[in-house]
Amino acid sequence: MTLVLGIETSCDETAAAVVDENFHVLSSVVESSIDQHRAFGGVVPELAGRAHVTTIGPVIRRALDDVGLNPSDPAIDALAVTSGPGLIGSLLVGLSTTKALALAWGVPFVGVNHLEGHLFAPLLESSGLEWPLMTLLVSGGHSLIVLQRGLGQHEVLGETIDDAAGEAYDKVARWLGLGYPGGPEIDRLAKDGSPAALKLPVSMIGDDFDLSFSGLKTAVVRATEAHREISLEDVAASFQSALSEQLLRKFRQALERYEVRGVALAGGVAANSALRSGVTQLASEFGLVCHLPTMAMCTDNAAMVAAAGLYRLSTGVPSQLNLSARPNWQLADVS
Amino acid sequence: MNILAIETATPACAMALRTTEGAEVSLVVDDERHHTEALTPGIRDLLIQSGLTPKEIDRVVVDRGPGLYTGLRVGIATAIGFALGANADLVGVTSLELLAHGARASGVRGTLVSAVDGRRGEVFVQTFNLDRDVTAVSEPSVTLPLTVVDEWTESGDPVTFTGDGVARYETVFLGLSNGSIFDQRVPPPLAAARLGEFRPPEAQIVPLYLREADAVANFTTRERPS
Ligand SMILES: [Zn+2]
Repeated sequence: MTLVLGIETSCDETAAAVVDENFHVLSSVVESSIDQHRAFGGVVPELAGRAHVTTIGPVIRRALDDVGLNPSDPAIDALAVTSGPGLIGSLLVGLSTTKALALAWGVPFVGVNHLEGHLFAPLLESSGLEWPLMTLLVSGGHSLIVLQRGLGQHEVLGETIDDAAGEAYDKVARWLGLGYPGGPEIDRLAKDGSPAALKLPVSMIGDDFDLSFSGLKTAVVRATEAHREISLEDVAASFQSALSEQLLRKFRQALERYEVRGVALAGGVAANSALRSGVTQLASEFGLVCHLPTMAMCTDNAAMVAAAGLYRLSTGVPSQLNLSARPNWQLADVS
Repeated sequence: MNILAIETATPACAMALRTTEGAEVSLVVDDERHHTEALTPGIRDLLIQSGLTPKEIDRVVVDRGPGLYTGLRVGIATAIGFALGANADLVGVTSLELLAHGARASGVRGTLVSAVDGRRGEVFVQTFNLDRDVTAVSEPSVTLPLTVVDEWTESGDPVTFTGDGVARYETVFLGLSNGSIFDQRVPPPLAAARLGEFRPPEAQIVPLYLREADAVANFTTRERPS
């Protein structure tokens, strides 16, 4: 049996996981420093970097221990680590630890693209995927529509030209005086509000697949200034509806253009209820298999990194010990 | 005891290996801030040079600062990973004491101030007495180069300065008539290997930042890319 230890430290989550060659998750440990960032309304890179240094050792120990493996002599065959994109000071902690482990254990390792990791997440929760697969990958840092023709064969059809979807949530939440991160709070409030309370634009109705959310944030600011009597619940519902409307329209366009057999939702914003029900509806309308991630698989984790690493190791060569982090590594540049 | 030492508090990336028999090898890659690229390959090379396998390392000694934050994290994360994988003990030493040991080994005596470049116009400093051994006479702190010099102008006592913080603000430190400079920019990794042998192992290495994270971050935040 082949076992891969995955390590992920690209943002505020310190994570380690053991995955086998059949993409079964044997252990997955995630620690987040999010509580330390709340007061700042966003992730403070220096705080995140410091937290990773404190957490990385215990997290790896637990991931190995959960499978009954001894850290000094584990039956681990390879390591996979997120080497980009992400915060440089955070990426370096996972990368450095991984390289040292690879050297100490005498096993290969591979640097994995974090976004490709998200694309592998559905594989960990389904018995098998049918290709081609259309994925909506939405998070605090990224918003992409990706066509996957097969395992590891992805084509970015469109992405945000300004803010990411999660970023828009955070900005609107900050404007409304809500907590950070904004997604869960807005989603919760929206359940008691009317999506039609505010008229907000659904931008980018062109026929390409690119997304844009900065105009929506500005529109929320203007509309709430003009209608001071409107409730938080109504603002949340209207914003959430306009944002998911745009994502779903673009996703629909992609499904109309390309013939696929399944759809998948991935990334932190995949936890959003409006988006989950919208994608489910689209899938049934087009008669496609629908892969919705569990809440644990929406957040950054190391199992998805291990999965992408398994694939990369099986099709290519391992990384060298002099590998450096790539904070701006685009999914389109992965090969 | 086979000891591996890791030093990444300054722009140089340095490492050393001291074997049970007392054989010593070291490597300094003075390649402006490429710790990530240079560190693990360097350790591998030292192991090969010493004829040791990773599992034969009994102890990893790492400089926990003060110094470059990113460099320290690369060094400490590497130490954590290696110690975990090789079932070795972990020991932390400070950049400032390593500089003091380096100076004393070269014959410097009397009062010494180690100064590591802290960026943003500041230096990390600590004062030592080198007469009988290396004895700390102050706690590590972060301050302005001019403040250090003013303090010694007032005391008038002879003092030696060393470290990359002195090199960076050389004109300031040269302004002191009772001061001299011992040119030493990289905390010597062999001093770490020797020193670490006699320290008790630590369950967790805590970096010596000397500044609060929010002060460092200057309230600049990034959105979450999860
Ligand atoms: Zn992510």
